[in-house]
Amino acid sequence: MKLDITETEQANGVVRLLLNGVVNIQTAVALRKQLKPMLSAKQQHVHVDLSGVGFIDSAGLATLVEGLQWSRAAEGRRFVLSGLSDNVRDIFELAKLDSVFEIESQAGAA
Amino acid sequence: MADSEHLLSCKLNSTCDCVHVLSSMVEVMGHRVGLSDKQTNRMILAVDELFANIAQHGYRGREGKVEMFASRDGDMLNFELRDYAPPLLKDEMLGWPRPDGEKELKPGGLGLHLMRSVMDKIEHEALADGNRWRLIKYLNRGQKDEA
Repeated sequence: MKLDITETEQANGVVRLLLNGVVNIQTAVALRKQLKPMLSAKQQHVHVDLSGVGFIDSAGLATLVEGLQWSRAAEGRRFVLSGLSDNVRDIFELAKLDSVFEIESQAGAA
Repeated sequence: MADSEHLLSCKLNSTCDCVHVLSSMVEVMGHRVGLSDKQTNRMILAVDELFANIAQHGYRGREGKVEMFASRDGDMLNFELRDYAPPLLKDEMLGWPRPDGEKELKPGGLGLHLMRSVMDKIEHEALADGNRWRLIKYLNRGQKDEA
């Protein structure tokens, strides 16, 4: 199982990551590597589209929490998730993280 | 005595990219016993987290053998993982505190919290040459919707 990550820069300083596959202890490393440079001082808005993700575990959640913590470190930053499937949303709910992240209901709404 | 019709087993290497093998076994078991997709996904999560904890904290990233047995005994669904890592002390892993929101998020601690949220019982037995872990779900108790 693998995770495909596509990064696109959009207008207004928005960087979008489209994930396809599973985010688990094995693939979260690659996600962290891709995400880390995006969480720089220059960037103001990171959007992670999870519509292609069928499964996420605690390692994946912890990686996304790094993005959340980055967004809270300075005024005006946004770290937005979208495209959560029912199963992925259920895991966020189990972890009680569904109310912590900024989650958009529609992929591409940002 | 486990119903042999509902018994699955496999052996894996803790460092290989093979968690999906365990996930497939859990999925098959879930469908055999009539679990919903949501509940099957939760079982997959619990087994995934236990395997990850064994690989990270039992074998500490080194290569090691993990055996998994899945069975149904009456209304009890049982996922047993056996490792040959140094035996853990009682509560060494299962005694980890529940993380306090995202402030204390660590893969190990959150993984255990997720396992506890999903399963009815988590058992650990230290053996002379490793550890035996059991994730137990009682099928007639209804679904836990609260974490």
